[in-house]
Amino acid sequence: MAVDWELAAFLILAVIEIVGSIMVVTSKKLVHAVFWLATTLITIGGVYLLFRAEFVFLIQILVYAGAVPVLFVFGIILTRRKIMEEVTPGEVPQEVPPGGPREGNP
Amino acid sequence: MSDFLVAPNLFTLSKELVGWILKILSDGILAIAPVGSPVEPLRGLGYGLVADSLVTFLAWVVAVLIMIIWAAAIQLLTLMWIERKFYSRLQDRYGIMISIWSLPFWPFSWWARRKHKPTHRGLGYLQNIADGVKLIQKENITPALADSAMFHTAPVLIVSSTLMIFAALPFSDGFVLANMPLSLLFILAAFSIAPLGILIAGWSSNNKYSLIGGMRAAAQLMAYEIPLLLAVVAVLFYSGTLNVIGIVNSQAAPLATIGPISIPKWNIFSIPQFIGFTVFFVAIIAEMERIPFDIPEAEAELVEGWLTEYSGMRFGIVFGFKWLRVLAGSALVVILYLGGWLGPVWTLNANIGGAALAIPILPQEIWFLLKVYTVFLVIVWISWSVPRVRIDQILNIGWKRLIPLALLAILVAAFFAAFGSALGGIR
Repeated sequence: MAVDWELAAFLILAVIEIVGSIMVVTSKKLVHAVFWLATTLITIGGVYLLFRAEFVFLIQILVYAGAVPVLFVFGIILTRRKIMEEVTPGEVPQEVPPGGPREGNP
Repeated sequence: MSDFLVAPNLFTLSKELVGWILKILSDGILAIAPVGSPVEPLRGLGYGLVADSLVTFLAWVVAVLIMIIWAAAIQLLTLMWIERKFYSRLQDRYGIMISIWSLPFWPFSWWARRKHKPTHRGLGYLQNIADGVKLIQKENITPALADSAMFHTAPVLIVSSTLMIFAALPFSDGFVLANMPLSLLFILAAFSIAPLGILIAGWSSNNKYSLIGGMRAAAQLMAYEIPLLLAVVAVLFYSGTLNVIGIVNSQAAPLATIGPISIPKWNIFSIPQFIGFTVFFVAIIAEMERIPFDIPEAEAELVEGWLTEYSGMRFGIVFGFKWLRVLAGSALVVILYLGGWLGPVWTLNANIGGAALAIPILPQEIWFLLKVYTVFLVIVWISWSVPRVRIDQILNIGWKRLIPLALLAILVAAFFAAFGSALGGIR
């Protein structure tokens, strides 16, 4: 039995691509969405490779893997995430440290 | 060219090896299962073992394993050893001295005691293995508030993209895994995936130091990717091919001839490529995050930069693979500008097959490794003698100095490539 390996590769790439593109629009965290976007773009490059377009594949990886970190940086800058024990202004800390509230510097 | 002068490549060699081993196995099976014996169905297995598809598949596996062991074990350990020994000497001390006689168990410790060998005064090559074993024993800690999935994905991205470089990076004419027409572009594309992994690592560890380190790494790596690629464009005007081996072969024309020895004209000996070499060298040091440009992990400001929160072997592998990127970067410098594995050639007048026999003075692999180690030593020398550059100065150098220089190199290279032959063969 002859297996059509190109079809198998295409199916795997297509599944990753579809799942990735759905995850891009459904992820709650912006940075996760950017990661899935990178996955989608690189699998599209894999589809180009199946079309025997190696140059387009490599340019796709060079350009999009270069552009995705920019999106990543904007995602980090424009969304808020707690870093270590930082408290957002206006928010009351949930846990009171043992021994009552701390005195001195807030 | 007669056949015996053509260097065998890695894949043919491993196919030969795998073919021999499978042939012996198959002959053994056929011998213990003669026709008519109760185990006769084994003969099918015996015939199946020598099928060409199986041999080819196993040959690829063996070739990939050889390359990974060669690059990610032997070369990695050697580079780390060279660096640690060399900067210790720069700081006027001995550096690492663990040797085989320092091993605290039977044959070595017994022999060292008996022969009164000094236990900690060796070359120090085993120190890095000891450090690796120590890291394997340590616990892998994931910070409580870290983004666990991304935290575990980032090292995979960095390590796999770094290993992908070695699918196309040649160590000589034949010592290359895949010789494809666009291999230079492939290497550069594999190089450019790591910044994504570094950013993910910095963001997901949920630590302000690692986040700052990741952001700095993103700004720096993206700024220096551009002059890197532009400098490569200037080389392409001379070589006319994106194949790494083709680029090396385009530098084979003799520059000078001293008696029977002819010295090849490497790219660095021409004016535009020398400008390109300067740009490429500075940019590759920045891409590797070596010391003049190591603000992403400045130890004095950010604890360990974007890999602060990693521990155990996950830290070890990300930290160690930086040397693998250094190896790939030095190899790229050597391939693009220093003539790769081409060294002085001894030309014999004995005519074999109609052409004069040209014998390289040293084997190709040794030339290549000598040059790579030299470039690496220069990088280490620079990084242990100059202070760190500030982030705004780094970006200034990248955008305002290196990119115009690279564009100048492209212009001059294009001019020489177009009109050089009309001007008397200037290159």
